[in-house]
Amino acid sequence: MTFKADIELKPKNEKPCQLHPQSMCPAFGSLRILTRLEGSHPVMATDTGCLYGLTFVTHFYGARKSIVAAHLGTEELMAGEVVEGTRAAIEVAAKEPGCELIPVVSLCVAETAGLPEEMLPKKIGDAEVVLVRVPAYAIHSHPEAKDIATEALLSRLADVKSEKERKTLVLLGEVFPADPLSIDTVLRKMGVEQTITLPGRSIEDFRRAGRAAALAPLHPFYKKTMALFRSWDKPIVGGAPVGASGSYAWLKAVGNTLDLDPKLVNDVAEEEREKAQAILNAQPLSGRIIVSGYEGTELAYARMLVEAGAEVPYVSTSIGADPLVLPDELWLKQRGTQMVTYRKSLEDDMAALEEFKPDLVFGTTPFCAEAKQRGIPALYFTNQLASRPFFLTTGMAATIGFVKQTLERKNPYTFMHDFFEGDEEVVHG
Amino acid sequence: MAKVIRDLADTSSYWAAVWTMCAMPDVHVICDAPIGCFNLVATAVPDYTDSIPHIENITPSVIRDEEVGGAGTGEAVKRTYEGLRDEGMIDGKTLIVVSTAESEMIGSDLTDLVTQLGEGTTFFHSESLSDDEHVGRDRVLQWLWENYGADAAQGIEVEPGLVNIIGPTFGNFNSPSDLHEVKRLIEGVGGRVNIVFPYECNLADIAQLAKGQVTIIMYKEFGHTLAETLGKPYLYAPMGIQGTTNFIKELGDLLGTSDQADAFIRNEKKTTLQAVWDLWRGPQSDWFSTLTVGIVATKTYAEGLKEYLGDELGMPISFVAKRPQKVGEMGNEEVRQQIHAKAPSILYGSINERIYMSEAGATRTTFMPAAFPGAAVRRAVGTPYMGYRGTVYIIQEIVNSLYDTLFHVLPVDAAYAQSRNGAPTGMSKPAETTQIGNMPWSDDAKELLNKHLENMPYIGRISASREYQMAVESVAREQGATEVTLSIAELVLAGQRE
Repeated sequence: MTFKADIELKPKNEKPCQLHPQSMCPAFGSLRILTRLEGSHPVMATDTGCLYGLTFVTHFYGARKSIVAAHLGTEELMAGEVVEGTRAAIEVAAKEPGCELIPVVSLCVAETAGLPEEMLPKKIGDAEVVLVRVPAYAIHSHPEAKDIATEALLSRLADVKSEKERKTLVLLGEVFPADPLSIDTVLRKMGVEQTITLPGRSIEDFRRAGRAAALAPLHPFYKKTMALFRSWDKPIVGGAPVGASGSYAWLKAVGNTLDLDPKLVNDVAEEEREKAQAILNAQPLSGRIIVSGYEGTELAYARMLVEAGAEVPYVSTSIGADPLVLPDELWLKQRGTQMVTYRKSLEDDMAALEEFKPDLVFGTTPFCAEAKQRGIPALYFTNQLASRPFFLTTGMAATIGFVKQTLERKNPYTFMHDFFEGDEEVVHG
Repeated sequence: MAKVIRDLADTSSYWAAVWTMCAMPDVHVICDAPIGCFNLVATAVPDYTDSIPHIENITPSVIRDEEVGGAGTGEAVKRTYEGLRDEGMIDGKTLIVVSTAESEMIGSDLTDLVTQLGEGTTFFHSESLSDDEHVGRDRVLQWLWENYGADAAQGIEVEPGLVNIIGPTFGNFNSPSDLHEVKRLIEGVGGRVNIVFPYECNLADIAQLAKGQVTIIMYKEFGHTLAETLGKPYLYAPMGIQGTTNFIKELGDLLGTSDQADAFIRNEKKTTLQAVWDLWRGPQSDWFSTLTVGIVATKTYAEGLKEYLGDELGMPISFVAKRPQKVGEMGNEEVRQQIHAKAPSILYGSINERIYMSEAGATRTTFMPAAFPGAAVRRAVGTPYMGYRGTVYIIQEIVNSLYDTLFHVLPVDAAYAQSRNGAPTGMSKPAETTQIGNMPWSDDAKELLNKHLENMPYIGRISASREYQMAVESVAREQGATEVTLSIAELVLAGQRE
């Protein structure tokens, strides 16, 4: 197989003009996490347009949770009443039944006006008040805002004073609910006593995470949270339990980090690898797939698809290039991926669509719409891939099985394309 | 005391500007925005309000740290313009640069800059920090007319029979159906639809509004300023039986087609409206007076639903909350308290009210989508709330929801639930159906049960009454009691919501 030159080697003027960056509003990443926590009642500090959009998506993807906000219009901003308004909203949130936590989500307009942390209460009644600063102009993707929110909560809540639980591991990343169960089962076989998944539904998990022995980020964009764990002298497990080779390496790394019985760890890791290989053999993928979401997890998905036999010439994501994703990028590039684009725009994705002519696309909604318009099967990465089991063999079987089915579902895409975009007015059966 | 918002119902005038301008395919908007204000208004929300993959004719300047930190947004907007120009994306289009809350926050006024961009490029200061979406739509429609319509309209003659429609834009709940019905009414009266501004026109065509003999304003919330400016007689799109009848007659008077208008009404009674008359004469309408209705929607919908369901069909209206909320009107905080205290049988509203229903455990209340925010596909034209067809659709949905409630009232053998949960078939019957005779209730226990039932929608009480009784009696039996006492009833009912 021969590969085309990496796009970065091309003359600069051939790079597509980046006009339409692709990311959910960055702040949504934090709101999703903060609204899903039981007992957490976020207060937003922002203008009404922003508030409308963010609560809209939060009520669609986050939680059925009423949200209060300071009213920040021209009048309040001119009068310098950002703090006053935010404090009033905090008072209202504190009255919610079972309120334990009030994250104050400060967005573009409030951040520009200034919202000094020392002017906010640290606590109101029994509820902790935690400031989370996520202006979209400074944070460029919503995965990164998840990191900011998680770090802010841990900084306040984590119990780092109690005795360390030597065989407890924190799994970090929003994952499908079945994933932590299967990871926990395998880790317990190796001698891990407890796992905690952050961010989840329980505030208590944030407290308990401070007592854990180590951190295993399942997603590669939790930089601030990782730095916090390092500052507590808690080691970080690299990689993620993805695919056959990735899971094997990750399980061994967990064993090393937590000082588990090497023989036992090796047996479990080998067993997982064999099971994973059996799944790969049973359901090989064939076809060319573009993976192009804005969740920050795209490289890991691409890696699994390549392991299963698919050709993935192009991967793009909303997060920036970073040492954390470099291993996956190198792995992919050694196995035929020609282009990995960070902080991508719709134009980058469109250029890849033209160049690589994929059989299947996982992308953002605007990009998928363009692919479907060409009759190419395309699914919204966020809704269809990022919302299935993914890790270890259980996740792998679910994800690969789904991708395989989708690759075989070309007919409706062709039919719809021919009907709506074809020259003939009537489609012959 | 500083103002606190609970679950905003209306977005800002920046959204209004984008949702109005971008409805016209020959416009391209550069929004002077951080990535979030672009994504939400152009993709994440219209995916679920208007069922479109994304708004294609908008590009952000992408405000970053540098711009906020003092550089201003001028260069970013210029760069964006040059990119669009070089890619040929604005050929033959009118380019409008629109301010956002954040660009306004950093004082970015691009009035001068746009004169250096392509010829005819304009800057619209959206006043996003102060105006809501309704005020915003009203202002942008007027602004578009002044800048792109008024001059060319000089000398255009009125053409008798032509009717303008102002509104909808993107983000107007249920607009395809309502627009379809309003057009049908206009044609029924003998008029012809001229321009639907902005939803079904090009910016280049808007001078043609001058040709219209009459203007119809779709919504009470916006469009009146332009209608006044156009200087033609105008009417608001109608709801309800009487409202629609008045509309048809008035439009007939204005167009000089009164005879046709009267004939249309007569014919509608025998066709479209026959369904309402049949349902009224049938057993269905007997339920109406037992249904309480709560309404949270735009002023247009809220007043229309109240007139039709309350005044014309006689349903008791629990509360009406109009949006945008005016001083002294019911806010979301009060709506929420009301739903928590006593949810109506039917609740028209947005996802906000639906969330309050979830908090309240108001499972016996039927939710009817009637407003944004909230995800709803409303692209089929068969779901109008306006006009005569609206009266049919509204009542049809209410009656179907009653049928649904009644279905759930009917008993189903408990053995199925047991076998679903793995019990062997042929197992003994559940205790409550094998109990012989009635268990006596003390007076105060009975009173407590009644109090619980009074707080719920009428039809739901039938099934709830049985469920509550069974639950209480089963605990009483477990305790070996021979009578249901107040303390047993309290114990069980405290755990039941409603």
